[in-house]
Amino acid sequence: MELTLSSVVIQALHGLVYAMLLFLVASGLTLVFGMMDVLNIAHAAFYMLGAYLGSTILVVTGSFWLALILAPIGLGLLGALVERFFLRKVHVHGHAFELLITFGVFFVVGEVVKWIWGNFPRPMDPPGILSGSVNWMGITYPAYRYFILVISALVLMGLGYVFMRTRLGIAIRAAVSDASMVNALGINVPRLFLGVFSGGTALAGLAGVVAGPFLGTYPGMGLDMMVDTFVVVVVGGFGSLLGAFVASLMIGELQSFGILFIPRLALVFQFLLMAIVLITRPTGLFGEKV
Amino acid sequence: MSRSIFVRGALPSAVGLMLVAAPHVLSIVQTRMLTEIAYFALFAVSYNFLFGWAGLLSFGHAAYFGLGAYVTAISLKHVAGLHLLAGMGLGTLAAAFGGIVIGFFCVRRKGSYFALLTLAFNQFLWAIAWKWREVTGGDDGIGGIIPKKPVDLGFFHLDLGSITNKYYFTMSIVVICLAIGWYLLRTPFGNTIQAVKVNEERAAFIGYNVNRSKLIIFTLAALYAGIAGSLFALFQDFVATSAIGLGMSTEVLFMAFLGGTGSYFGPILGAAIFVYFTDWISSMTEHWEFFLGVLFIVLVLYFHQGFIGLIPSKLRAVFRAEE
Repeated sequence: MELTLSSVVIQALHGLVYAMLLFLVASGLTLVFGMMDVLNIAHAAFYMLGAYLGSTILVVTGSFWLALILAPIGLGLLGALVERFFLRKVHVHGHAFELLITFGVFFVVGEVVKWIWGNFPRPMDPPGILSGSVNWMGITYPAYRYFILVISALVLMGLGYVFMRTRLGIAIRAAVSDASMVNALGINVPRLFLGVFSGGTALAGLAGVVAGPFLGTYPGMGLDMMVDTFVVVVVGGFGSLLGAFVASLMIGELQSFGILFIPRLALVFQFLLMAIVLITRPTGLFGEKV
Repeated sequence: MSRSIFVRGALPSAVGLMLVAAPHVLSIVQTRMLTEIAYFALFAVSYNFLFGWAGLLSFGHAAYFGLGAYVTAISLKHVAGLHLLAGMGLGTLAAAFGGIVIGFFCVRRKGSYFALLTLAFNQFLWAIAWKWREVTGGDDGIGGIIPKKPVDLGFFHLDLGSITNKYYFTMSIVVICLAIGWYLLRTPFGNTIQAVKVNEERAAFIGYNVNRSKLIIFTLAALYAGIAGSLFALFQDFVATSAIGLGMSTEVLFMAFLGGTGSYFGPILGAAIFVYFTDWISSMTEHWEFFLGVLFIVLVLYFHQGFIGLIPSKLRAVFRAEE
C-alpha cells in the first residue's frame, strides 16, 4: 500500500464516515443519558434491530427510503413501550436496577433478532441512486458513504435546532438540570422522559438502517457498536455532545489509519485511546464532573 | 442458641456428607453438572462480592474468569514439568493482577461509569484473546491442558482423568474458598465494604478510605473469579474466547441475580438454577437464551431478592449464622 495523497485522503474519509456513524449512535445514547441519567445499554440492541427491520422493509417494499423512514418510527414506538412498562417501573429502585433492566432488554432484543432473522449476516444494498461512486476533486469514493456524512450532519443540525430554538428543547434542557422544578411549572416531565427515550431509540434505529449497507447487518453488530460508543462516551466525557463528536472523530480516524500501519492492533486501538484518556484526564476530554 | 449450634454443626456436616456421597450416587452426567455448578457457584459468589457487598455493578467480570482460565491453560501447556497447582496459582495471580490494574481505573467511578468501564476492559481482554493467536489459539482455543500422568499432591497422586476425581478436586477447592470468603466478609473489612455500599460519603467522613476498600474487594473478586476460571479450564480441558467474552459476564450476572444478591448463598443457588434451567430449556428449544432473558427481566421487575427470596423467611432464618 503506497502512501499517496489521494490514498491518505481516502483513508481519512473512511475514518470520517465511521466517525459520523458512531456519533449518530452515540448522540441518542448521550441524549438519554443527559436527560434521565440512565446509561441505556439497550441502545445498541435498538441499533441492531433498526438495521434488521430496515433490511426487511427494503426487501418487502423495495425502497430504501421507506426503510429509512419506517424503521426509526417502529423503533421509536418500541422505545416508548420499553420506557413506559420497564424503565419507569424500576426507577424507584435506583440506578443499578435501571441499568439492569436496559441490559435485560439488550439481551432479549438480541435474541429476538436471532430468532426472527437467524444467526447470520444479511446483505443490504444501498439504493440505486447511491450505489455508484462519486468523483469529486480527483478522488473517487462510494456515493453511499457521502450519504452517511450528509444524513448524520442533517440529523445533528436538526437536533441542535430542536434543543436551542424550540420550546420543547428548552423544556428538555431544563428537565436535565432540575426535573422536579420543571414538573412544578406544569410541564409533564414523565411524558417528556417518554418522548426523549423514544426519540433516542428512533435515532438508534435510524443509525442502524444507515449502517446496514455500509457495515452490513450481522448478529454481533450491536455489541461491536456498543463497545465503540461506550469508549466514545468515556473519551468524550459523560453527557457531552461536543465531547462525543470529538471522540468519535478520534476513534474513527485512529481505526482507519491504525489498521493501515499496525494491522495487528486492529481491535484494540479504541481501548488504548481510552486508557490514555483515563490516565491523563479521568473525566474525559469534555467531561466536567467526576 | 440451639439454632446456632445447628447451623455451625449439623447442617454443614449434612451438606458435606451429601457432597462426598454425590459422585457415587449420581450418574456421570449429573456429576459433571454438579462439578460445573461448583466452579460457577464460586464465580457467581465472587461476582456478588462486588454487587451484593460493595454495590458495584460490573458487566465485565468474565475478564478475570478468563484470565484465570487462559493463564492456567497456557502455563500448563507451555512450561514443561510445571506442577498443576503452580499453573492454577499463576492463573489466579494473573486474575488478581488484572483486578488491581483494571480496578484502579474503575473503582474511582460510580454507577453507569463503573459499569461501562468494566465492560470496555472486558472487551479489550477479549479482543487480545481473539487476536493473539500465537499464544491463545484465537477462536480455536487451547486444548489438552490436563497433565497426562497423575498429579503428585504430596500425600497422594491425583489422576484428573476420571470425572469423580475432577469432582472431588473442584468441590474441595470451591468449598474451601467459599468458607474463607464467608469469614472474610465477617471481618472488620467486610463491615467497611458494607458501610461504603450503604453510604459512601458517610463512610469517607468516618475516616474509611473508600477507594482503597473498593479496590481491595474488586481485587478479591477478581482473584476468586480467577480460581473459578482455572477450575473451569481443568474441567473442560479446553479454553476458548467464550471464557473471557461478554457472554460469560452476562451468565455470571444472571446467576447472581437468579439466586439473589442479598445473601452470601444466593449466587450459589443461582449457579445451580442456571445450570439446570439452561440444561432443561435448551433441550426444549433452540431459542432458550430468549427465555433466559425474559426470566431475568421478570426478576429485575418483580423479584429483587431472586429465587432465594422465594424460600419462606422462617426456613431462611435457619441459614443465618447470626441472630
